Amino acid sequence: MVNDSGQLYTMEGVAAGIIMLLTVYIVISTTSIYTAGDTHIPDMQLEQLGSDVLAMMDTPNAEEDAESDLVTYIRTTNQSDFRAMFRNYCNMRAGFDDDLKMNAYVYYRDQGSDTVKSYPLDEEDLSTGRDNAVRVTRWAQIPRTPLNLPGVGTDIDNRPQAVLVEVLLWRA
Amino acid sequence: MACMNEDGQWIVLMGLLVALGLFFLALIINQSALVGQTTAEGVLEFPKNDIRDLRSEIFDYVDKSGSIGDADVEKDIIAISLERKNAVVSFSAGEQQNVSGRLLRPVTIHYNNGVTEYDEVVYY
Repeated sequence: MVNDSGQLYTMEGVAAGIIMLLTVYIVISTTSIYTAGDTHIPDMQLEQLGSDVLAMMDTPNAEEDAESDLVTYIRTTNQSDFRAMFRNYCNMRAGFDDDLKMNAYVYYRDQGSDTVKSYPLDEEDLSTGRDNAVRVTRWAQIPRTPLNLPGVGTDIDNRPQAVLVEVLLWRA
Repeated sequence: MACMNEDGQWIVLMGLLVALGLFFLALIINQSALVGQTTAEGVLEFPKNDIRDLRSEIFDYVDKSGSIGDADVEKDIIAISLERKNAVVSFSAGEQQNVSGRLLRPVTIHYNNGVTEYDEVVYY
């Protein structure tokens, strides 16, 4: 008869081998660091919300309307109305209002120096610099230099041009 | 060996099996943390809104200036895209053609931000 008294020792050896292999695998795979997935999901939702709001503001009310509200606000540099409409659209949901903070800038191309410059459209909310902000943008075409430009250094050309509105959006 | 007390070896072995099972469960929990990240990152990285916005802006531009185009506005869009959106953009509109009884312009749009490339010829 075959002596089988050592079988359990063999099994134990196999189990130990598997454990050692798994340990090596885990140790090697821990060298890459991942952040928790949850942090990206609110960013994604906020970015989509901001894009949709800008798209709504850039849509004229009717076929007869010459320009959208967004273009009107840029053309007249109407900070308060721009801010009010943006925040109002952001808060169109059930329940309590969301406390969203925003800054908006307009980027334009200076013909003379062929460089891209910017001026603030809305800088009412103060950023700490550590906010987890997302950036949403929208193109707009304006017929001439906007009225009531802030600051003396803003030398935007007086011509029909395309500008880019950038809104920084974050949750306080 | 023969004199060694071998009582309880099965219990020890079963204990090892349970430990291995827990090990695999821990691995699964570890991986589940990444599921939301890759999905959200994929959506954040993909410039869907940028491209849709650019398209509608180019259609506005074609509406306003036809096939001749305002070279300055075109330069604006190209320069600001490169500076602020890290995207190389190129577009043009051709002469009106008769497409199924309607006069439409072929509008060519190219967009490339290094990750996503988008090319389109649309009759508008």
